[in-house]
Amino acid sequence: MTDQSIYRAVLLDHFHNPRNKGDLGDMQIVRRGSNPRCGDEIEIGINCENNTLESVRFRGRGCSICLASASLMTESARGLKLTQARDLIEKMQLWFGDQGGVGPPGMGLAALGSVRQHPARKKCVLLAWQALDEILDEIERHPEIVGA
Amino acid sequence: MAAVDFEALRDDFPNLADGQPPLHYLDSAASTQKPACVIESIRHCYAHEYGPVHRGLYPLAENASENYEAARRTLARFINAGTTDQVVFTRSATEAINLVASGWAATHLQSGDEIWVSQMEHHSNFLPWQRVCNQRDARLRIIPVDDRGRLDLENAPELFGPRSRLIAISQMSNVLGTINPVREVVEHARRHDIPVLVDAAQSVGHMPVDVQELDCDFLVASAHKMCGPTGIGFLYGTSARLRETEPLLLGGGMVDEVGIDHSSWAEIPARFEAGSPNLAGAVGLATAVDYLSTIGLKAIEQRVRDLTDYAYQTLEAFDEVLLYGPETGNERGGILSFNIEGIHPHDVAQVAGEQGVAIRAGHHCCQPLMQRLGVSSTARASLNFYNNEQDISALADVINETVKLFGKR
Ligand SMILES: Cc1ncc(COP(=O)(O)O)c(C=O)c1O
Repeated sequence: MTDQSIYRAVLLDHFHNPRNKGDLGDMQIVRRGSNPRCGDEIEIGINCENNTLESVRFRGRGCSICLASASLMTESARGLKLTQARDLIEKMQLWFGDQGGVGPPGMGLAALGSVRQHPARKKCVLLAWQALDEILDEIERHPEIVGA
Repeated sequence: MAAVDFEALRDDFPNLADGQPPLHYLDSAASTQKPACVIESIRHCYAHEYGPVHRGLYPLAENASENYEAARRTLARFINAGTTDQVVFTRSATEAINLVASGWAATHLQSGDEIWVSQMEHHSNFLPWQRVCNQRDARLRIIPVDDRGRLDLENAPELFGPRSRLIAISQMSNVLGTINPVREVVEHARRHDIPVLVDAAQSVGHMPVDVQELDCDFLVASAHKMCGPTGIGFLYGTSARLRETEPLLLGGGMVDEVGIDHSSWAEIPARFEAGSPNLAGAVGLATAVDYLSTIGLKAIEQRVRDLTDYAYQTLEAFDEVLLYGPETGNERGGILSFNIEGIHPHDVAQVAGEQGVAIRAGHHCCQPLMQRLGVSSTARASLNFYNNEQDISALADVINETVKLFGKR
C-alpha cells in the first residue's frame, strides 16, 4: 500500500483489534446506525454516570472503515462529559463536511483523514458518530434513563 | 472469421491507451470505455454538421435530420429490426422501460392482472413495473432464481397463466452474468399471447442480438454500455405493440395537429420522441454500432468468453473467494460477482482502486437479487473485449493484497 492509501496502519489496527467491541447487554442506551446501501450495520451502547460517558461500546458488521471508525469513536468518547461528546461529534461532522478549513478533532482521529478524499466512504466513517449523537439526544429527552 | 487482434484494439480506446499508470478497467457492465472513432464522430457532428433535427428546411438542418435518421437505420439493421420505424430513440434503457410501463402497461392492465419479472432484474426493470402494478391494482410476480443464479422457470408455474399480462426479463444479468433463455420464454409466451420485454442493456453490443430471432415484443438498451455515448438509448417494439403504446413525454415534434381540446400524435417513431432529438448521441451510437460490427459480434462474444473463463478460474482458485452465478461456460457473459470471506466488498473495491483496478462494489441496483443471495452487496468485475490477461492478473493481485490487509491473522 502507498502513502495515499486510506488504509493507514492505525485504521487497520482498529479493524483487526477493535476496541470496546462486543456485547451491549448491560448498556443503558443502545442505538443502531445502518447504511442499507452498502450493508454497514452497527450498534453503539453507552453507560453514563454524573453526565460522563463511563463506557462506550459497539458491535456490528460493515466495511473496515466503518468498523475502525466505530472503534476509534468509542476510545475518544469514553470519559467525556456529555457536552464534550456533543462537541466532539460536531467537530467530526464539520471535519467531514464540505466546508473545509476544519482539521481533525484530536490527534487520535487523524488517521481517518485519509477517507476524506473519498466522498462515497464518508458515510461509513460517520455512522458510529451519528448513532452516538442520537444517544445524546435521547439522554437530553429522557435524563432519567441514565439516572440523572 | 479472420482472427481479430484484440490486443491492438486497446489502442482505439484513449482511456486505456494513455493510462499512466495503466488502468485495469473491469467495470464495463456499469459503462464501457469509448473508442476514439465514437468520440471523434461526436466532435465532428458538433463542429461541422450540427443543426436542429426535423425542424429546418435549410441544408444544414436537412443534413442533421438525415444523419439522425441514418443512425436509426444503422441501429435497426444492427438488431435486425423488421423496419426502421420500430426503433425509438430514448435517453436510456431506463427511459425505454418507463415508456413501456407508462405507455403500454398502464393502459392495458386490469385489476388482478400480473406482470412478471425475475428476481435478478435491475431496479430499472423492476420499479416501473412495481409502480404500474400498484397503480392498476395488478400484481407484480417474481420468477425465482436458482442457486446457480439461473432463472428457475419450473418454479414459476403461473408465468404463462391466464392473468399474466406482460413478462419483463433481462437477457444478461448485470450481477451474475447469467444469460437467460429469452428465446424459450418468448416461444411459450407467444402461445398465450403474452408480450415480452427484453432488457438487453448488458447483451446488445456484447453478443449477437437479433430481435426477429428472439421474436420479442419490446427490447431496450443503452448506448453507453456498448461503446457509445451517455444520454441515449433505444426501445425496439413490434409495429403492433408500438401502435398500442401511448407516448411517455408530450411536447414538440411528436404531434400531428394540436387543438385546444384535442391533439393527434405524429406517426411512429416520432410520436415517442418529444423534444429536440439528441443528434450527437444518435451519431455517436451509430458509430459505435459500426465499430462493433466491424470487429464482429461473434468474435467479441468469444473473446469475452475466453477472458471470463480465465477470470473465473483465477478467482475460483482463491479459497477465500465466493463466486456467484453460473459456472464458467456458455450460460454466462463477462460479469463476475464475488465476495471475499469476512471482507466487505467496499474494502475490496477500494484496494482495487488504489492498485489501478476499476471494479464495482455494492448492490448493483439489484436489491431483490441481493436478498436472494443473502448478502447486502458484492464486488463485481466485468469484462469487455478490450480487457486482457494483465487486467485479470491485476485483479488477482488485488485479492491477494485485500486478504493480506483484512484477512484473519
Ligand atoms: C441489466 C440492466 N438493465 C438496465 C440498466 C439501466 O441502464 P441505464 O442506466 O443506462 O438506463 C442497466 C444498467 O446498469 C442494466 O445493467
